[in-house]
Amino acid sequence: MLPFLLRRLVQAVPTLLLSSLLIFFVISLAPGDFLTPAKLNPNISAQQLDNLTRNFGLDKPLVQQYLLWMRNILHGDFGLSFSFQAPVLQIMWPRIVNSLWLVLVITVVFYGLAIPIGVFGAVRQNSLGDRSVNVFMYFLLGFPSFFLALIALYFLLQIIFATHWAIPIGGMTSPDHASMSAGGKVWDVFKHLLVPGILLGIHQTAGLSRYVRALMLEVMNSDYIRTARAKGVSESSAIWKHTFRNAILPIVAGIGGELPGLISGAGFIEVVFAYPGITPMLLDALNAQDLYLIAGFTMMTTILLIAGNAISDILLAFVDPRVKLG
Amino acid sequence: MKKALTLALALMGSGAFAAPYVLPAAWMAQSPTEAKAGGEFRSYTISDYKTLNPFTSAEADSLPTIMGGPAGLFNQDPTNDKFVPVMADALPTVSNGGKRFVVKIRQGMKFSDGQAITADDWITTFKLHTDDKVGSNSYDNFFLNDKPITVKKLDTYTLQFDFPSVSASALNRMSYTPWPDHVFGPVYKSKGADGIKAMWGISSTPSAIVSPGPWVISSYQAGQRAVLKKNTYFGEWFKDGANKPLPYLDSVSFTIVKDLNAGLAAYLAGQIDTFGASKADDLAQIKKAIDAGNLKATLVPNVGPNSTSSWIVFNWNKAGDATKQKLFRDVRFRQAMSHIANRQAMIQLALGGLGSEVYSGVYPVFKNYQYASTPTYKYDLAEATKLLNQMGYTKKNSDGYLVDKAGKVLEFNLTTNSGNNVREQLGQIFRDEAKKVGVKVNFTPVDFNTLVGQLLAKGADRPFDAILLGLSGGDNIWPYGSNVVPCGGNLHAYNVPSDGKCLNAQENLMTKLYYQGDQTLDDDARRKIGEQLSKVEGQNLGFIYLVATNYHVTFNNRVGGEYKRNLWDSYYGSRPAYGLTTFIK
Repeated sequence: MLPFLLRRLVQAVPTLLLSSLLIFFVISLAPGDFLTPAKLNPNISAQQLDNLTRNFGLDKPLVQQYLLWMRNILHGDFGLSFSFQAPVLQIMWPRIVNSLWLVLVITVVFYGLAIPIGVFGAVRQNSLGDRSVNVFMYFLLGFPSFFLALIALYFLLQIIFATHWAIPIGGMTSPDHASMSAGGKVWDVFKHLLVPGILLGIHQTAGLSRYVRALMLEVMNSDYIRTARAKGVSESSAIWKHTFRNAILPIVAGIGGELPGLISGAGFIEVVFAYPGITPMLLDALNAQDLYLIAGFTMMTTILLIAGNAISDILLAFVDPRVKLG
Repeated sequence: MKKALTLALALMGSGAFAAPYVLPAAWMAQSPTEAKAGGEFRSYTISDYKTLNPFTSAEADSLPTIMGGPAGLFNQDPTNDKFVPVMADALPTVSNGGKRFVVKIRQGMKFSDGQAITADDWITTFKLHTDDKVGSNSYDNFFLNDKPITVKKLDTYTLQFDFPSVSASALNRMSYTPWPDHVFGPVYKSKGADGIKAMWGISSTPSAIVSPGPWVISSYQAGQRAVLKKNTYFGEWFKDGANKPLPYLDSVSFTIVKDLNAGLAAYLAGQIDTFGASKADDLAQIKKAIDAGNLKATLVPNVGPNSTSSWIVFNWNKAGDATKQKLFRDVRFRQAMSHIANRQAMIQLALGGLGSEVYSGVYPVFKNYQYASTPTYKYDLAEATKLLNQMGYTKKNSDGYLVDKAGKVLEFNLTTNSGNNVREQLGQIFRDEAKKVGVKVNFTPVDFNTLVGQLLAKGADRPFDAILLGLSGGDNIWPYGSNVVPCGGNLHAYNVPSDGKCLNAQENLMTKLYYQGDQTLDDDARRKIGEQLSKVEGQNLGFIYLVATNYHVTFNNRVGGEYKRNLWDSYYGSRPAYGLTTFIK
């Protein structure tokens, strides 16, 4: 186990170095910089623009900027965000935590729905139930998530108009959140998470359930399952103990890859629901060319991706006796 | 301690507090007696707040700006644009040929932590804004043509400002918000600019923040909501027409929505109290909700034009293409282009009917600087054809495009920033109209930053033909851009040679008139100079102004405290800013 982890660590160094180079220079390749919009402001003088360029270090050559950034990262400092004038980690962290809650709800809905639906589809292959679920899933797959969210918003508004219920339709907390009891606060956040969480969970289910169904079918038709059945193993044992355990191996292998997904947030659904996650912040940063904020966040995701893959391998070793670490 | 002592002595000397500032009841739609105290006004914002630090904040509607509110020596009266004393006790005593201003500060004002506001606070704030290492956005405010303005403390309650030259914007420049010397002063002394930049970040504890204005931060959750609570000390010297302390509200909250659709949804659901509707579709949805009885709100569309406008600019520095350079420098060509711009079609098709025609560099909302004498070249294709004929473009080729004697087609490239749907539509309308008279316009949207790079390029051969873009902002004191109108300014976008020299007599005259107006204290005299400047600008047609978007007002009926209807415009808003007089019915 230890040699495996050490080897992974050593392998990670060149990977991270190369990705940091790519991240930094690709972002810098875009025309203009953080101060470009300011240049169109009739009220800012050329002298002031020079001051800001110097203060932000944008007058230094790119290579020097990169080396400085790299040195700071090695000291655990991801640099200052231009627009916030504050350390990148300090800006990112609350957003990552917010996104984490939403993604957790999504993940629970996602696995909670996708696995039973996939198994059902495989066991009752080509039945009416299987077909109608398939059609519905295809339908969902065709919609972009943000569009689905807009439609949901529209219907929620109609429900509010009709019933005057105080359904939260955006954000993460109610205006009076600060004055609530601890339990009330948890319930308040949960209420806000519910609609976007369920929506995106169901939307993503479309892909995974079909994957589970295909994997199940493949295993179900294999010789050892037939043998097990022939030996009189009960139906539920054949499906869950023998088929399912083997079928989900590729999914377990992929779980580590979900780790960066956990902090990357729920994408455009966060924007539509005005949810204070990572995506709205990242969009702002991209828009403003807030170099260190974008680069810092991308580096974080890369590190998590590497860690996630290691975890995947370890998990796989536990689940699949054929795989050995070392 | 020392400060408290001098303060006590000063108070003994002056004997009594000065009178409070009173916001005229005549401005308001409702009588001040109708106003109730307490409650929360729920507003929104579409981008995350970046900082609580007034010296590093760069956005227009930043939290420090809202907290400070009208805290500044003077403020403009929306009925006549004149400055009235707010934190100053009276208008300043002017001497030294209009360059020295001695201002008495209103006594008895306190910061939100109870400390008195004195001349030291203005001095320290001035120092921090003018330290280029701090990088304050207000830096330019304290310089006139690169020469610094100086401010001196005469005594605890008297300031003296010295300007390097006479300036129309003097009172405006003096009206900066004073931030507490007792908080920033010691840090600046010990740690310098870096110490100041590290203060009051967005995650600072609210109790550490001190405000001179109506509000102080109460809580902030990243990406979600900022809540400001009333600074009770503010109401001691800032009153309404019935002598009640302002603001009426206990708090204002700003929900952060990343997307305007989310903002609209929250407004329609009654979860926020106001919405800055700009699209016809938004207005229609709000109206529908009001008509159906689902939303109890007031909606007034098309109150007036916004302080913004879009324009087309032609590049006069095209050494690499002599034909085009000659064409773009010919005023008849630019007049023809103005005649081609079908501004009504632009308003109807691109702005959904919600816009105003623009013919001058001064946004139409600044009513005092609109003149009947400014030449306008309105939509008139026949007139455009006539002008082009005069320039030698009399023949058309088989495709219907005008050609010169050598058979070269009259064409140019027009760009705008991609992703801006309105500008893309404006450009298409222009291209289609141009085709009708035989001018070939190759219209392509390009990336915003690339476009800005092209526009701001200097030299004899700049990399574009024509750009469609817009500028916004400014004030109604001298509403001409300091780096737009005079030659050499980086936004004097039609002619930017390396040496910054003017090319024609009109540019020279405009530069002269700009500085003359900027250095005229008398409002009426300045408006007369403005009339001349507008006229020359219109004759020169460096920018061909197109249309401005309109300003619409909508708010939930549970809130009151707006201006009388005739005072509403996009510059002053529909109610005193920062929720000062807003109340919950």
